[in-house]
Amino acid sequence: MKSLPQPPQWAVRFLEWFCPYLLFESVLGDLLEEFDDDVEQLGERKARARFIWNVISFFRPGILLRNNFKLKIIDNIMFNNYFKIALRNIRKRKLYSFINAFGLSIAIAFCVLIYLFIKDERSFDQFHKNKSDLFVVARTSYDAWGGEPTYEHSLYQQLVLGPQLQQEVPEVKRIARFKSGYTGVLNFNNKSFEESFGFTDSAFFKMFSFPLLSGDIKSIFKNPDEMVITTRVAERYFGNEDPVGKAVEFDFGGEKRLFTISGLVDVPPSNSSLQFNILIPMENHPSYEWQMQNGWRSFSTPTFIQLEHGADTALVAKKMEQAVEKFVKDDQDQERKELNIAADIKLLSYHLNNIEGMHMNTKLAWDNSSDPQYSYILAGIALLILVIACINYVSLSLSASGVRRKEVGVRKAIGAHRNQLISQFTIESIALAVISMIFGFALVFVLLPYFNDFTSKQIHITWGNSFELVGLIFLLALFIGVLAGSYPSLFLSSFKTSLVLKGSNISKLKAGFTKPLVVLQFALSSFLIISSLIMYKQMEFITTKDLGYNNELVLVVNTHRGYALRNNGLVEKMRVALQGVPDVKLVSGSNSSFGGGWNMMGYTEDGKNKMSYVYDVDPYYIPLLDIEILKGRNFDPDMPSDSNAVIVNEALVKDMGWTDPLSEHLNWEEDEASEGARVIGVMKDYNFLSLQRNVEPLFLKEKDAFLNYLLIKIEPDNIPETIALIEDEWSKVSPDKPFSYSFLDDDVARQYDAFNKWMNIMGLATGFAIIISCLGLFGLSGINALNKTKEIGIRKVFGAEVFNIFILLNRQFVWLAIISFLLAAPVAWYIMSQWLEKFEFSIELGWQMFVFSMLSGLLVALITVSYHGIKSAFTNPADTLKYE
Amino acid sequence: MGKTYLGEFEELVLTMVGILGEEAYGNAIVEEIKQRLDRKVNLSAVHVTLYRLEDKGLVTSDMGGATATRGGRRKRIFKISNAGLSLLRDLKQQRMQLWELLPQLKFGV
Repeated sequence: MKSLPQPPQWAVRFLEWFCPYLLFESVLGDLLEEFDDDVEQLGERKARARFIWNVISFFRPGILLRNNFKLKIIDNIMFNNYFKIALRNIRKRKLYSFINAFGLSIAIAFCVLIYLFIKDERSFDQFHKNKSDLFVVARTSYDAWGGEPTYEHSLYQQLVLGPQLQQEVPEVKRIARFKSGYTGVLNFNNKSFEESFGFTDSAFFKMFSFPLLSGDIKSIFKNPDEMVITTRVAERYFGNEDPVGKAVEFDFGGEKRLFTISGLVDVPPSNSSLQFNILIPMENHPSYEWQMQNGWRSFSTPTFIQLEHGADTALVAKKMEQAVEKFVKDDQDQERKELNIAADIKLLSYHLNNIEGMHMNTKLAWDNSSDPQYSYILAGIALLILVIACINYVSLSLSASGVRRKEVGVRKAIGAHRNQLISQFTIESIALAVISMIFGFALVFVLLPYFNDFTSKQIHITWGNSFELVGLIFLLALFIGVLAGSYPSLFLSSFKTSLVLKGSNISKLKAGFTKPLVVLQFALSSFLIISSLIMYKQMEFITTKDLGYNNELVLVVNTHRGYALRNNGLVEKMRVALQGVPDVKLVSGSNSSFGGGWNMMGYTEDGKNKMSYVYDVDPYYIPLLDIEILKGRNFDPDMPSDSNAVIVNEALVKDMGWTDPLSEHLNWEEDEASEGARVIGVMKDYNFLSLQRNVEPLFLKEKDAFLNYLLIKIEPDNIPETIALIEDEWSKVSPDKPFSYSFLDDDVARQYDAFNKWMNIMGLATGFAIIISCLGLFGLSGINALNKTKEIGIRKVFGAEVFNIFILLNRQFVWLAIISFLLAAPVAWYIMSQWLEKFEFSIELGWQMFVFSMLSGLLVALITVSYHGIKSAFTNPADTLKYE
Repeated sequence: MGKTYLGEFEELVLTMVGILGEEAYGNAIVEEIKQRLDRKVNLSAVHVTLYRLEDKGLVTSDMGGATATRGGRRKRIFKISNAGLSLLRDLKQQRMQLWELLPQLKFGV
């Protein structure tokens, strides 16, 4: 007998898949009935086709949605119930819920902050429209004086490089040199402020996306006396008026000049590597002419280029080198000879770095770069804190499970499926996660200003990124809810009905799972405690170290003398003027303040090239700073011959190998004939650089012409009045310049801003980690107390003291904390000694610090666990033993 | 709950359920419509409509007996409910009233 024709089975399976269970049977029945009819009337082949078509026609909302709808009705009811129970539980066990939600909110908030931080770091310089064609020229060159190759890629190039490249390399579309960090005085309508400014080229505005709000981009910087200002500057002088076309007086070289404002731009966004307030054409640079003529050995100015779209950067770099080669060949040949190196050794090579990667490229020597390592470390810490918070949740839920046993038993007894219990507990943890999410988001808002302070960033929550943040937080909450909820729900749902309802404690909690996690948590916290402590100690050491000079109560005043006013004897005039002010002890001048730049000078000794730092000072400098003279004497204001004398430091004497320094001369002039400056004194080494650096060779020379900073030592009393009096005198001696001052010790401290910032973030992370770890420990001690309920009861019945029980319960936590600490200490020791190596002067890693960290960690741990310990110890044994 | 409205196709299917009585199930309705009105309707559309009518409480359903041609699958037999029947009556009445109001067409000579 021939077998009956069958409809395609896959279509049946497909129908079964999408068709609601309740409808499937009758629908398939109808379809089969029609199939049979069709086979008779149309033949098997057509009938099969029609069957398929019919199945597909059932794939419609009317059927599909019914599927969900039917399921949803059941689920909604259960979901509502679960949700109600969840909320009830959260409310009933306020302490647990609070701890849980608190830990999770902190973790969420921290993750979000770190996310914002990393996002901001990554967004640097990404806003330029033609960023893919914009490059910064980097140079690798041999340090001519030391003879050692430097592998740092310097961004400071010859002023003449840019124009030369534009001429010789066809792929270069535009160039803009950009040199900022200068200060000048801007004067308009009797309003006069000190402003920072920079030099650049007209192409700057075409290359970078700092669009002109007002002004014409085509004609900008056609004249050298044009100026572009940001809205920040404009507000100060012009309010809401359009400043374009206005003439202002600008003084940056000691000489007042008129500039016409030809452009207004927005303040550069905080995530721009190029920051400026005022820009004027490069030609105004005081040594512009000289550098353009002879400047192939003078590296001063970052140069940006825009390549033709799609140009080959390697090829351009090669052409760059060839273009430069022509000009520097003779120079370099001579240099090779001087340095005694083979003729084929490259002294100079150029390459191009896309500006997109500029901020995070630590190989580039550039003030605004940032180490991506910080981002990675922070991301790691954020992730760890998140994991720790999840671990807490797990251990807290587990420790709370005693209360839930009966609920689980009853639910199971009335027929709850294990899956249903799992989804119930998962919903509970998601509910908690959602609550934490709301708090976490609020925390982000609260903490963001402080975080910005810590990190010197300007991150804001705007409409644009708030959706993204909400999305991120939601994902985090879901992740935490599912991850943290999974183990407790699996555990809780596994209780055996009969045993639970009999009141047995047989499904004993296994703390074995949480113990390693708690050790991990505490190890991380210990690590952070130790690291922060060491960082703190190091900062304390640096800021209070005897630097070899006294920087307290020294006012630093910028003289704004510049090039034109070199020889106006301003410092001397101020010294005379301030003689009448009683609280002024000493007045001196220097060409450079601490942390505010330096000059270096090369000189030749016995045919060897050496290099030294050099400060121009006046005779009052050494007494003002209490620098100790070991041999010889200070400059004498009454001896004119001292203008050709130097005072050197010990490091220089050592570098030179002098045995009798006072009989030596230092020849830094180019001509070999002269003997050079006479050494009249040797001063004790003092830390004129940041303490990350050793004391390098330094000499002081007396030169009034370059005293750019006024140093004023004052008495500790009546400081505000004294400063006011000094300002009065200043406005008489130098009426057209604003009086701006800082304290020298502040300037010195500012050199450690980056470390301070880093220390703040670490401190924040440490605080979070400690809080969250303690919560975890709290949970674990809860589990422990729960497991030992009966034991405690029996012990109490037999007369154990409360104290004994407390010890019994907490002994193991002390051990856990010690184990964590022993794990963390070597890691912290290793990493922190690496960090300390960055400093030439650093603290010793003593055992005291480790012991201190451990004891404080233990103390925190003991305080944390004492809640459960005390609670259990005081429980009436009648309550715990009544089921026996 | 407000007044229940029926679409044209819903009304048709509901009427058919009433007509077929004990034999009202998906395929039978499709066949009935085909034979009586010479109108081809899709089986899935009939099913969806039947479920919708059930949601509105106009029909009730029960699983009926299986036959061999159905591969042993039972039929879902639909029965018109009292609410369904009264709705049909109402509809008829309304139509009649409206029909009365229609100007009688006269054939001119």
